[in-house]
Amino acid sequence: MIDPAAPLVIGDIVDLLTSPGEMSRIVVEGLAKGSLYLMISAGLTLIFGLMDVINFAHGAFTMYGAYIAGAALLGLGVGSMGFLGAMGSIFVVMLLVFLLLAAVGVIFEVALIRKLYEYPPIFMILLTFGLAITLEELMRMIVEFREINNGQWQIDWATPRIESVPSELASVNELGFFSFTGLQLIQIAFGVLTFVGIWAFLNKTRYGLFVRAGVEDEEMAKALGININRTFTAVFAVGSGLAGIAGVMLALDPLWAVNVPLALAVLLPAFVIVIVGGLGSFKGTAVASLLVGMIDALGTWAFQTGVITFTDLDQLMIFGILVVMLILRPRGLFGVEGQGDHG
Amino acid sequence: MTLLELEGVHTYYGESHILQGVDLEVGDDEVVALLGRNGVGKTTTLRSILQLTPPAEGSIRFKGEELVGKDTYEVAEAGIGWIPEERRMFNRLSVEENLRAAVPTAAGVAEGLELAYDTFPILEERAGQRAGDLSGGQQQMLAIARGLVGQNELLLVDEPSEGLAPKIVTDVGEALLSASASVPILLIEQKLGLALDLADRYYVMDHGEIIDRGETAGVTADDEQLRRYLSA
Repeated sequence: MIDPAAPLVIGDIVDLLTSPGEMSRIVVEGLAKGSLYLMISAGLTLIFGLMDVINFAHGAFTMYGAYIAGAALLGLGVGSMGFLGAMGSIFVVMLLVFLLLAAVGVIFEVALIRKLYEYPPIFMILLTFGLAITLEELMRMIVEFREINNGQWQIDWATPRIESVPSELASVNELGFFSFTGLQLIQIAFGVLTFVGIWAFLNKTRYGLFVRAGVEDEEMAKALGININRTFTAVFAVGSGLAGIAGVMLALDPLWAVNVPLALAVLLPAFVIVIVGGLGSFKGTAVASLLVGMIDALGTWAFQTGVITFTDLDQLMIFGILVVMLILRPRGLFGVEGQGDHG
Repeated sequence: MTLLELEGVHTYYGESHILQGVDLEVGDDEVVALLGRNGVGKTTTLRSILQLTPPAEGSIRFKGEELVGKDTYEVAEAGIGWIPEERRMFNRLSVEENLRAAVPTAAGVAEGLELAYDTFPILEERAGQRAGDLSGGQQQMLAIARGLVGQNELLLVDEPSEGLAPKIVTDVGEALLSASASVPILLIEQKLGLALDLADRYYVMDHGEIIDRGETAGVTADDEQLRRYLSA
């Protein structure tokens, strides 16, 4: 080992890992990260499950949400508003971002995506991939033109973020064994809210019933009088809006940099989660989000405590799960055979 | 009065010319059987009516209104119900949810469920179960119930007895017979006896064309001519 301070023997690692304080730290962080991952991947899974559309532009929507949120929170001076004012502002920004990106989603679905339902999947992949590149480059142009990044193409919004986030969110609170930041609590709260909201939409509303029926058998749903096209548009709008909201959450979190590559940084784990959870299964996506969140937290913890001395173990493990899942159970945790096929 | 009228309908699957000029009528108070061997275009005829496989040529009028060019959901809204081959349950939805999805308006759900459960009490017992866990016979009842609760003015029924035990076939036959009292039916059925029992008239199809038609009164399942049409 090159770093003389780092080496830890197995016994130290076990001691560390089994100490209640450390464990609770990992669990809280895992829940918070899992919540973020759920918000990132929920829209993707809804869109794929119903429409068989692999939306490569999903990450770009999140990146736009993050930029809009960052700009709005800085512009409003949220950091100096006091806790309640700041939270209210964040909430309003979130709502606006949702509506804005949902509207963008409607335009994309009606103007572009709808034209290609009849064609083989590769057409749709190329379209959404092209959309993703276009959106990313457009944002890059805006960022460079406005000199938001002082000439560097990857800007670090961590500094302005401290101004944009009330101090209550950053400070650490203790409760028994558990220590958590306000930001983690908010992330978990929004994760739960996302889960409950989508679950209720799918299971308790008539529209949700149409969505689930359409996921299983599109032809039969149409033959029962369900306007699947309109359902598709609505789902694409909701999915895009959710991607935007995830961006707002990421803009608040100093671990995520608000920059153009954020689009890809979000898209990859979202794909892993959707596949591991089972294509088209919202329950699977929720479980896989938690799983990936926990692993991410464990990897981050291992690095911070010096158990390992290289970064990105979490990434390695996340994609490791994907590989193992594809070998052992290609349909994912809760996937149904044939789901996502075109047969 | 003519409820459904097909005139010179040509339908393709890719390059294959499946329906080659189908003419067919269903009146507003009759059951019409569409007979023929496997693969002659019977199911395609139903899919053409529903615009699931839209015809390339010809006209399909329902209550005088042209269906060709409409979306499938609009055909369903116009009052045509489909009880498809292999039943096509939403397997992961509960029995009740399958029925709810088939009721055209939110306001009509309670009434629709009542109608379905009155017709098939077993469905009420299984209301919370996943449709995929039902037996074949129960799934067929649910498929028929979905057609009934859709407030349809015509039912397209495709092979309702396929893969069912004889006792269940009798039940399904009775269910369709009682349904036919209130709604006209266009029926595809391999079991000639059952088809003749239910239907007032029949069409025989071969190679995508109607080759014979007639009244079922006085025709038995032993009918030489019909048996020749239907033998492989």
